[in-house]
Order: sequence, then C-alpha cells, then structure tokens
Amino acid sequence: MSKKDRVSSTLELRGVSRHFGSVKALDGLDLVVEPGELVALLGPSGCGKTTALRIVAGLEVATSGELLVNESRYNEVPASERDMGMVFQSYSLFPNLTVSENIEYGLRARKIDADKRKKRVDRMLELVGLSVKAKAYPHQLSGGQQQRVALARALAIEPRVLLLDEPLSALDAQVRGQIREEIRRIQLELGITTLFVTHDQEEAMAISDRVGVMSHGKLEQIDTPIGLYNAPATPFVASFVGQANRIPAQITAKGKARVLNQKVNISENAGNFEEGQSVNVIIRPELLEIVSESDTDATRGIVALKSFLGPMTKIGIAVEGAPLIHLNIASREVRKIEIGEKIAFKISSDEVMAERV
Amino acid sequence: MKRISLKWPLIALSSTFAFILFVVPLYGAAAYSFKGNGGKGHSFANYQWLIHADGFYPSLFTSLKLAVLAGVLNLLLMVPTMVYLNLKGQKFKPLVDFLCILPLIIPVVSLAIGAQVAMPEFLQNTEYELVFFFVIIALPYTYRALDTSLQTVALKTLVEASRSLGASWTRTIIRVIVPAIRSGITGALFLTFALSIGEYTITSLLHWETFPTWTVVAAQQNILGAIAISVFSFVGAIVLLTAIALFSKKRVQQVEVEA
Repeated sequence: MSKKDRVSSTLELRGVSRHFGSVKALDGLDLVVEPGELVALLGPSGCGKTTALRIVAGLEVATSGELLVNESRYNEVPASERDMGMVFQSYSLFPNLTVSENIEYGLRARKIDADKRKKRVDRMLELVGLSVKAKAYPHQLSGGQQQRVALARALAIEPRVLLLDEPLSALDAQVRGQIREEIRRIQLELGITTLFVTHDQEEAMAISDRVGVMSHGKLEQIDTPIGLYNAPATPFVASFVGQANRIPAQITAKGKARVLNQKVNISENAGNFEEGQSVNVIIRPELLEIVSESDTDATRGIVALKSFLGPMTKIGIAVEGAPLIHLNIASREVRKIEIGEKIAFKISSDEVMAERV
Repeated sequence: MKRISLKWPLIALSSTFAFILFVVPLYGAAAYSFKGNGGKGHSFANYQWLIHADGFYPSLFTSLKLAVLAGVLNLLLMVPTMVYLNLKGQKFKPLVDFLCILPLIIPVVSLAIGAQVAMPEFLQNTEYELVFFFVIIALPYTYRALDTSLQTVALKTLVEASRSLGASWTRTIIRVIVPAIRSGITGALFLTFALSIGEYTITSLLHWETFPTWTVVAAQQNILGAIAISVFSFVGAIVLLTAIALFSKKRVQQVEVEA
C-alpha cells in the first residue's frame, strides 16, 4: 500500500451531537478533515474529543447530526463495515494471536486470499519495523512495540480513515516521541486521512496539519499549530494551548489595557470590553523579556522560582497585586539570576488575549 | 525473646486433618474394592463384576452423552449471555445473577416437576430432557466462572478493536473472546460436566436411568461392588480433571514455544 495505490477520503462531521441523559458530551460538532490530512482533536478530559472519534468509528451513535465520508452518509453504517482503522490507547492487541496474526485479523475478516494476506502483513511489519517479531505474542513486546503492531493492524485493512485514540498516552516519554514521529512518517507515506485525539498539546502540535481545540463538546478553534498558538480565537484556546500567564488588567480604552503598569493592545478575538472594566490578560511566558533595572517602563519583581527544564529555564517572578508570573529564559543565560533577586521585565507582545474576570 | 513460628506446626496439623479426612477413607474404599469373594483375599472380582454388570455401559454412556450435551448447551447459552451482560447489559446483571442462583434455592423436587411440566411434550418423552435440567442446576457455577473470567480481560476494547477491523459478532466471540476467557470456559465446562454426570435426584424423580441411578440399584446387589463403583467414579473424575489441567497447560506451553 503506497500513497499512489490509494485514494484518500474526506471525513466530515455536520452538527454532530451526543447526549448522555442531560449531559451534552458533544454539542453540534462541525469538522472537515481533508484527504490525506492529519487533524488532531485536543482538549481537556470530558471535552468530547473521544466521543467524536468513537462516533466516527461507529462505536457510539450520534444523537443528531451527520457523519459523511466522501460525501456519503455513514451514520447507519455498522462499525464492522466502515473501513476505518482504529488505534486504541490501551493497544487492544488480541493476546492469543501472534503479531502476524493480529495484523492479519482484519484481512481474514474481509476474506482476502492467503497470498495477498501474507504480502500485506509482511509489508506492514516492514513499515513499522517489526519483521523480526512476527511470531511473538503481545505479552512478549514492549509498550512501544505493541502500539506499533496496533498501528500496523489498523493500517493493514487499508482503511478510508485512520483513527488514533490517544495512542501515545500509555507510553513513556522517550518512546512516545519515537512513535509520534513514526505515526507521522507513516501517515505522510500512505497519505491517509487521519483523526487523532489527544489531551497532550505537544503531541498534537508536533505531528498535525491542523489542530482542533475542544471544550464542553464544542470546537473552540481549528487551525494550523502555528496559527493556533499565535492567534488563539478564544481565551480558552489561549490558556489551554501553550503556557500562559493570567494577569489582572484594566481596560483603558477600546482595544487597550493597562497591565503591570504597562500598556498593551487587546486582540479583537477577545471581544468587546468597556472602559474601566477589570479583565485578565493572557500572556505567554516567551512574550515577557527581562530588561535592565534602569528601564523606567519595566515592571519590577522578585525572583521566587527557578526551574531548570533543559534548554530553557522557567523563572517565576513575584509581583505585587498579581499571581506569580512565569518567564522562559534560555538556560545558558539564566546563571546570573538567583532566587530572591530583584528583576525587571517588559511585555514584548503587540497584542494580547483578554478574558472577563 | 525468640519468636516461635507457628507456620510449620499449622501446616503439619492441616496436612494431618486432610490425610485423615480424605486419604484414609479413600484408601479404605480402594482396599475394600479389591477384597475377594466373602471379603477374603485380594482380587479384581468386584471390578470384573462391575464391567460385566447389566446396564453398566448403557448407563455410563447415557451419562457421558448427556453431560457433554449439557456442557455444550450451557456454553452456547451462557457465553454470549455473559458477554452481552458485561458489555452492554450491566443493568441486567443483578437480575440474571438472581435467576442463576434460583436452582440453589428452589427445592429439587419442585424444580424437577415444575420444569418438566413446562417442557414441550416431545422433550418430556426423551432422556434429553435431562440435558436442560443439568444446564439449569449448573447455572449458578457457570455464571460465576464466566463472569470472573470476563472481568479479568479488557472485554470492551477487544470487542471494539475486532469490530473496527471488520469482524462480525460471531467471529469476534469465537476468535477473540473465547480464547481470552478460555480458563473460565474450561472451568464452566468441567463444572457442568461434573454436576451432570453425578446428578441423581432429578434423574431419579423423572424415572430415567443414568450412571448414578444405575449405581444405586446395582449397589444394593453387591456391597463390595458398590465400593468398586465409587472408587471407579472417583478415579474417573481424577483422570478427567488431570486431562483438562494437562490440556490447558499444554496449550499455554504451546503458545510459549511458538513465540
């Protein structure tokens, strides 16, 4: 199966809702995943992202709305006839079958002849780099290897859409990074339309063409990772994606505010605020810069936290009338800064997001 | 002060009790079963009498046949039921649990007469009606054996994985669920088989002849022969248990070797 051999599908959800009694797990979700695109659904627990994925897989029934694959309605198609490959968080490999047999399982269900089955299994094993483990049983594999087998098993049936339900959550950090890159490599190689559900923003940003941020069963914003990070459409997106400081501020004029004795412009996406209104502005740590103590426009505080994160170090500055403010500084530049020391900093962004208090 | 360990004395005490309660009577029965005519000497006379006795083979064959059928029917009924209850019918579990316990609560006489009246006439006239009674009396045990086994596997995700790969429900049950709960199925099968092959009361009430009812009648003619029958039954049960245990172990080893 190569990119040339297959025709990628368009996946579309139109106003899809799923209610469990009075709880709206999914509330009118509209989403289009273009052919060959990898879209991640990102959000906190209970935001409805997994419900959306399960509805696409046919494992959950939508209360209302339409699910379309290449313009065809799929709501009534049973899970076993949807041709969608799914990778689960818990691997879900069949413990009584070998790696080869697991990969072959979907092909046998489709009554594909033995020669073709063998070729496809060998190709999948090669694709995920597990040819030597063909005869092993799931319990003899590491977590990363098991998830590779699960991926191969889902891809072996040449699905219209690949569905990934938090596939990296159960893996340790190092393996997670490797498998993440492998998923993206294989997805690009096969050009398969993919919907990826995760609560890990780094994961979503790293491998997705677009990321949809969900909250309370709704899509707050869907954009490229860069677009999402730099131009969040709502305060929720601004605070959920990336790190953010929430700092009390006062609206001074339309689109302007004063925060930490500095003037900032408020993003149009934040909505309208009245003059004199108290708000919280959301500022990313990298948009704060340390300046000289002599800078009269700067805000002053005391270093209360210094946390080494490898290439970057997180600094926490205690400022009167504000919560602890976080900055990220390159670790090689941070040696001079000590806890308890006085420090001056400025907001270097032209525009910030704000939310009502 | 040195602490005195009670571990070994307790093991010795319980082993002694086990020996007195189980091994001594069995040894006694086995020794008596080899007594010669008039209780003198040792011989295989009682076993020869047993295998040549009228009705021994037909009743044994009937019991084995009914026990196998009861085991199979029980699994056909209970495996899909338990899978459904654990997957989608959680709210019905207490009700089914209660229904499955009823055979332990309802007096056997009421069960036998009541259930027989409810059976279709064509079944009432054949010994195969006993299969249904055997299934009923095994329900409390098979329910628990299968439920315990199903709770140890990630049933929901395995089923969802199988279904999303295009497998039908039948294929999912046969290829995924049954192998995953093999220990529970083996246990349920053995319990049904053991209960069926030893069932006396219902069979006697309904006037059918199986191995246990034949044994009671035969034992009245030859007391040493009756002891030979009980030893034969016990050894048969041991052989069966060992065979099932070895079969399960062999399967596990096979899996390991193949890997």
